[in-house]
Amino acid sequence: MKTIQPVAKALTLGSTNTNGKGATEVGLDELLNLDQGRMSRRVFHDSDIYQLELERIFARCWLFVAHESQLKKPGDYVSAYMGQDNVLVVRQRDGSIKVFLNTCPHRGNKVCFSDVGNTRQFICNYHGWSFGIDGRLKGMHASEAFDASNFDLSGFGLHEVPKVDSYRGLIFATMDSEAPSLAEYLGDMRYYLDAVFAMDGEGTEFVGGCVKSVIRCNWKYAAENFVGDALHAGWTHDSGAKAMVGASVGELHKDIESSYQVNFNGHGWEFNQDIVGNCASLGDKELVKYLYALQPKVAERLGDLRSRMIGSISSCTLFPNTSFLAGQNTFRTWHPRGPNEIEVHVWTFVNKSAPEDIKERWRKGSMLTFSPSGVFEMDDGENWEYSTRTNEGYITRQHDLYIGLGMNTQILNSEMPGNVFQGQVNEANQRAFYQRWLDLMQSASWADVPRRDVPKERV
Amino acid sequence: MSVDVACFAKGVAMEMHFEISKFLYKEARLLDTEKWDEWLQLMAPDVHYWMPMPENRRRTDSMGAYERGQGALFDDNFFDLQRRVARFKQPSAWAEDPPTRHVHLISGIEAYGGDTAEEYLVHSTFVNYRSRLDRDNDVLVGRRQDVLRKNANSFLIAKRKILTTQAVLLSKNFNTFL
Repeated sequence: MKTIQPVAKALTLGSTNTNGKGATEVGLDELLNLDQGRMSRRVFHDSDIYQLELERIFARCWLFVAHESQLKKPGDYVSAYMGQDNVLVVRQRDGSIKVFLNTCPHRGNKVCFSDVGNTRQFICNYHGWSFGIDGRLKGMHASEAFDASNFDLSGFGLHEVPKVDSYRGLIFATMDSEAPSLAEYLGDMRYYLDAVFAMDGEGTEFVGGCVKSVIRCNWKYAAENFVGDALHAGWTHDSGAKAMVGASVGELHKDIESSYQVNFNGHGWEFNQDIVGNCASLGDKELVKYLYALQPKVAERLGDLRSRMIGSISSCTLFPNTSFLAGQNTFRTWHPRGPNEIEVHVWTFVNKSAPEDIKERWRKGSMLTFSPSGVFEMDDGENWEYSTRTNEGYITRQHDLYIGLGMNTQILNSEMPGNVFQGQVNEANQRAFYQRWLDLMQSASWADVPRRDVPKERV
Repeated sequence: MSVDVACFAKGVAMEMHFEISKFLYKEARLLDTEKWDEWLQLMAPDVHYWMPMPENRRRTDSMGAYERGQGALFDDNFFDLQRRVARFKQPSAWAEDPPTRHVHLISGIEAYGGDTAEEYLVHSTFVNYRSRLDRDNDVLVGRRQDVLRKNANSFLIAKRKILTTQAVLLSKNFNTFL
């Protein structure tokens, strides 16, 4: 597959080129002033910025496409999205996984219309072009007509996504053959991911299907909420907490000493160390008991800090658009559909080694709380839609937003990997998310992306 | 749409059909007027209230679009329904204040005898139209399959299966019952 060529469409975001940089770079620079804790609302509204995001964020970064447990046998496939590009993630006969654009190279139609399944081939409905699970073109309807034109099958397979890799069962892919390795991309986040996705060394699996819904919001509102917005929980989710456990969310802003935000290259996790706070919100004591029983073993394997993250009040986003909640065990991708809309895909993950009964309780609990009808999620969509929609006002969108919470809270000599900040009620992770966003948006290639974060964990 | 249609099951007398229809219309009105506690009283203690999200699968797939144990907007017992109602009633349920305006249209009612003399199998179709604030309008259409159980002069809902048409819910949330 050819390397994606940047559109390099110059944005003229109300500024002139005065310092030799391209108009794009000049304009984008003015959108963020993270040292002052301010950002422009145009980040969430401008359609030119959105088009540049498709090119420089979504066609470049490693994006989550599937969990290995969804693809057990050769020919198993799921349909997924990378930005607005529909892809097929397919288990090969040799056990490896390939990812293809879901489009026929003849007239462009989709070659697969189901969400998930097992197949020996993908056949285009239009002219009957058929492709093996390895993407190779095998034949077509009325093939004699093509023979007569000296058509060479070998040059017309499904377009393969250049790089696919996985970490702890989570499969990622990138459209950019120049991208760093997945290990390098995740960097120090792998240390924290292990707390949830390799808790007992047996790994995780997805249970149940995928629930999909639409929220009319900019994708970054959802991503930044999970990357570091512990603050909203106590207010937004008060009604859900009272419904599920009969009490308000704990006063997280008072728990400074034992709570953190950590980030690396725009990925971020905010957490405290209550072991089971998120899990308890599912209102099922059996799940809490399960995690308490597991915790000493996790402590032995991964140390005390990580053993207290397994179900704690916490949230994480892997840059740009993959998020999950430990304890509630909801895993989701926020697929952009223009500057004002996302399609949300939601799964439930569980420890592979957990008893069937526990897995089923988690599936039910995560749906009851974090599906579109869930007692917590119901209130998020409303917030994100109106955070986006208000920016339609021309004057409204001239007014900057505040993103300065927790300035000067970085712990510079921390033993913990990544950039570590004291206190989970903080906007450090959100600032890091937008810094990474800006770095990528201003870089024509991966080689130009500033290296701000040096991993402590061995890549 | 995969509904277990009891085509040849025994139908009910006209009077019973009328009583069942009245029950379903009343239930819809309780939801439209946010009479949550009265609505809960229509549920049997052992109710299973289930609304799976469909998956697009090929006809040859052994798994159907609507399967138990898959993703669902509701997969609830009575306690779960109580907790959802508890959220609706909180003053801090911000997404319900100002209130959403609901209309539940119920149609296509078919009633048959159930597994026991006390139970009825009832099919119906619904339209849920929701309006909120200025221009938030959502519509959801689907089919229901209920098991109603006789209870004094009325019924209790012992099972409800709700099948919607949307594989991607085209709304930011789903803040009612069906």
